Formats: sequence, structure tokens, C-alpha cells
Amino acid sequence: MRVFAPKPSVPISMSDVPSIRIAGIHKSFGPLEVLRGVSFDVHRGSVVSVIGASGSGKSTLLRCVNYLETPNAGEIYIDGEPLGTCVDARGQSRPRSLGEINTMRRELGVVFQQFNLWPHMTVLGNVIEAPIRVRKVSRKEAVEYGEECLRRVKLLDKADEYPARLSGGQQQRAAIARALAMRPKAMLFDEATSSLDPELTDEVLGVMRELAADGTTMIVVTHEMNFAHEVSDRVIFLHQGLIEEEGPPADLFGAPKSERLRQFLSKYRK
Amino acid sequence: MSDVLKQSLDLSIFWEYRAILLQGLIFNVLVFVCSASVALSVGLGAALLRVNRFWPMRWIGTLHVEVFRNAPDYIMLVWVHFVLPLLIGLLIRRRVEFHPFVSAVTALGLVYSGYFAEAFRAGIQAIPQGNLDAGRAFGMSERLILWRITLPQVVRRMLPEALNLFISMFKATTIVSLIAVPDLMYNVSMVIQQEMRPLPLYTGAALTYFLIIFALSSGVRVFGERWRRKILA
Ligand SMILES: Nc1ncnc2c1ncn2[C@@H]1O[C@H](COP(=O)(O)OP(=O)(O)OP(=O)(O)O)[C@@H](O)[C@H]1O
Ligand SMILES: [Mg+2]
Repeated sequence: MRVFAPKPSVPISMSDVPSIRIAGIHKSFGPLEVLRGVSFDVHRGSVVSVIGASGSGKSTLLRCVNYLETPNAGEIYIDGEPLGTCVDARGQSRPRSLGEINTMRRELGVVFQQFNLWPHMTVLGNVIEAPIRVRKVSRKEAVEYGEECLRRVKLLDKADEYPARLSGGQQQRAAIARALAMRPKAMLFDEATSSLDPELTDEVLGVMRELAADGTTMIVVTHEMNFAHEVSDRVIFLHQGLIEEEGPPADLFGAPKSERLRQFLSKYRK
Repeated sequence: MSDVLKQSLDLSIFWEYRAILLQGLIFNVLVFVCSASVALSVGLGAALLRVNRFWPMRWIGTLHVEVFRNAPDYIMLVWVHFVLPLLIGLLIRRRVEFHPFVSAVTALGLVYSGYFAEAFRAGIQAIPQGNLDAGRAFGMSERLILWRITLPQVVRRMLPEALNLFISMFKATTIVSLIAVPDLMYNVSMVIQQEMRPLPLYTGAALTYFLIIFALSSGVRVFGERWRRKILA
């Protein structure tokens, strides 16, 4: 009988590697400097909310996180791995090709303000498309998991419906299921409820609450201050492309330090 | 009614020659199918050039569209059949001749590729950016996005216009008799030379084209609308 050596334990530093690290992101559009050096970490299983006035750069930041916009400077790390650059055999770093970036960005599920469902596919078709074509899972497996995702967002009964026949809230829940179906390491939400009527907002926020409770790693750009307050582990207040203030929601909402955050929050108190 | 008139209105002669006329019609269909394939694929290529990021590509695409869309199909046909072989012959120093069928397909395919390119381009540009962003965000390659997201929507959107183009194209196949492709009109002319009865023969040809185009386009319209409407709110 052979005696097995005990498994080497996971190095302690591993658990310190954030799920997403945003490091010194700068982004300009022509002369307009939208992001001027934004850095923060998102740890596994935590929810980070990003708030800020319109035009402060929240969407741009989220689009930089999965390289829908290429940052002018700074880098995104997913589980410690830089998204935009890689180190080759000789130890020199080089920019990743679009194909390599595609491989990295599938680890992040994105939910857009405008849902952006593909109108020529049914709800289930939307959900299984990327798993089949990008992750190359079998159709059967994709359908099984896709249906489970639809069940999670309570939309299984609309699986065969086309997006045009759904309400905004249903479309957004379908979009969430589509992102979940890729089994992402983290979910990015860009104002997922901003184009919904108030009655429909709650059903989408409800789904997002459940995801957070299940331990999904999330970055949530939102104007829903109550949601940010209750659900986030950390809140980031963005002002003109810089983090003006950040911390646990109790601190930010309870005792805002900066005048700008106080002004910003006062608009939501009324 | 005079006997002459009665005889000239009698369409039965058209029926008598049905075998040879049907053969001609098959040529029309063949020319149509082949040149439509050329027009669709070259048109898609030109449209992709026109929406390319790099301006020289866009410029080539625009040039293609403007040249072929503004060339009358009649002139294009004659030019491709009689002038192009001369030019190529001068270039490679050998006598070159095109089979009339090849010339017909090339000429019609090119002229209509200009129209199809515009239809494709309009359709591609009408796709909301967010639809493509969603594909990219899930790690789809640009090619996958083109085939799975862009084109299926473009095809649905451009269906009515494409149908009109196909109809014009089918009608345009009648001019290939000019360069001796033995199509329906060509065979009709042959029979007329024998029988000297243009009225029933030309009328019969006109009716045949009308019925075919009417039946097919009605069918496509009904079927296509049902398919299209699913994705539109
Ligand atoms: N592709 C682009 N080209 C040029 N300017 C852009 C582009 N995308 C964003 N901007 C500009 O960058 C600034 C920040 O935009 P962004 O969408 O990131 O703001 P936001 O914080 O998400 O605002 P909102 O709350 O209205 O969604 C705006 O001034 C916007 O006009
Ligand atoms: Mg935004």
C-alpha cells in the first residue's frame, strides 16, 4: 500500500488575489478625460456598487473592465491575471491579441442598461448561444443549464418567446440569465434597472439581490441607492473620473465625508 | 372579328412549342440563380468593405457600388461579353472568349451586387451597437458576431428590398438573349422567325414571366413576413 503525501495546501496568498483588480485605469475619448486613474479590488463573493452623477464615467469604467473599451493606461486583473497584457516565454509582456482578450472576457458576465438581447433568437436561444459557440459545450448541456438559469430569474415559462414580446423587466431578467449561463467568475451590471418602469425595477432588483445572497461576485453600477445600501459590501463614489470616496455602505450613506458625495446623496433623499 | 385577328390572338401556338420554350425558361432560371448567388456574395463583400474601419477599404467598397449600380445592365452585358475578353486577351496575349452564359451571369451578378451591397450595408448599420457589444462581452469573435448576430438580423430586415431586387433581376435575365444565351426570349424569337406570328408568342412569353414572378413573389412575401414579424415588436 502506498502512502500518499498530504496535498499541498493552497498558498495563503491565493485567497488574497482579488477576483477583479482594477488598477489605475485611465480612459480618454479624444480630448475628454473620462477616467483619470481608478483603482479598486473586488473580492470573491463580494458586491461592489459604483455610484456617481451622470457622466462621471461609470459606464466607461465597466466597459474598460472587460475591454469593450481599451484603457489608455492601467490594467484589469482577473484572478490575478492581467486582461490586456500577457507575459511571453522570455518574460517580456506584450499586449494580448483580440482572440486572447475574448478568452479572458468570457469570464465576466455583463448586463447592460438596454438589455441588448438578440432579437432574432428566442429567450432560450439567447441564453445558450454563447455557451455553445464560445464555451463549446454541447447543445444538450447548454439547454439544461440555460433552463436552470432561466429558472433562477423566474423566466422559464418564457423560454420560447422572442424578446420583442417580453416586458422590459422580463427582457432584463433574460439578459441576466444569458450572462449567468456562461458561468462567469463575476457579473457586471450597468444600470440594469434604469430603463425600466418603477414597477418592473423591483423584479430585476429582486433577482440581483438573490444573486448577491448566493455569493455571486458583482460590480453594480446603479442609481438605486437603497439597493446599493442594502446589498453592497463596498460602495465607490465616482466623480469626474476619480474615486471621490469609497467604503462600506454604512459609512458612505450614513456619514459621507466629502461635500460632493453629500450633495449627490441629497438628490436621492427627496 | 376578322380571321387574321382571331388567328393572331390564338395562344395555342405557344403551347405547341412548349418543349423548346420551357427549355429556354430553364435557362432564365439558371442565369437567375447563378447571378443572384454572385450578386449576394459580391454584394455582401462590398458591404463589409463599406463598413470597414479602414478608409481605403471603405473607398474600394464605395467605388464598387457606384460603378456597378450606375451601369445599365444592357451595357454591362455587352461590355462583359465583347470588351472584357479583348482587354484580358491584350493583357495575357492570347485570344479569349467568354461563354455567353458566363458573361450573362457575370454582368447581371456585378450590376446587382451594387444594389445588394447597399441593402446589406443599410441593414448592417441598422443593428444597434449594443447587440454587438453583448456578443463581444461574451467573448464572441468578430466573425461569429457577423454570422450569428449581424447577418441573421440583416437578412430579415432587408427581405422586402431583396425581394424587389430579385424580381428586377429575374426580369433582367430576359436580356441575355442579346448575347445568344438560349433563354425563353431567345427561343421565342427563333420560333417567331419560323412561324411569323409575333403576337401570340410574345404575349405568351409576357404572360409566362408575369405568372412566375407573381406567384413566387407572393409566396415569398407571405412566408417572409411571418418570419420577419417574429423579431419585430
Ligand atoms: N465612445 C465614446 N466616445 C466619446 N465620448 C464618450 C464615449 N463614451 C462615453 N463618452 C463620454 O464619457 C463621459 C462619461 O460617460 P459614461 O457613459 O461613462 O458616464 P456614466 O457615468 O455612465 O453616466 P450615466 O449615469 O449617464 O450612464 C460622458 O461625457 C460621455 O459623453
Ligand atoms: Mg452609464
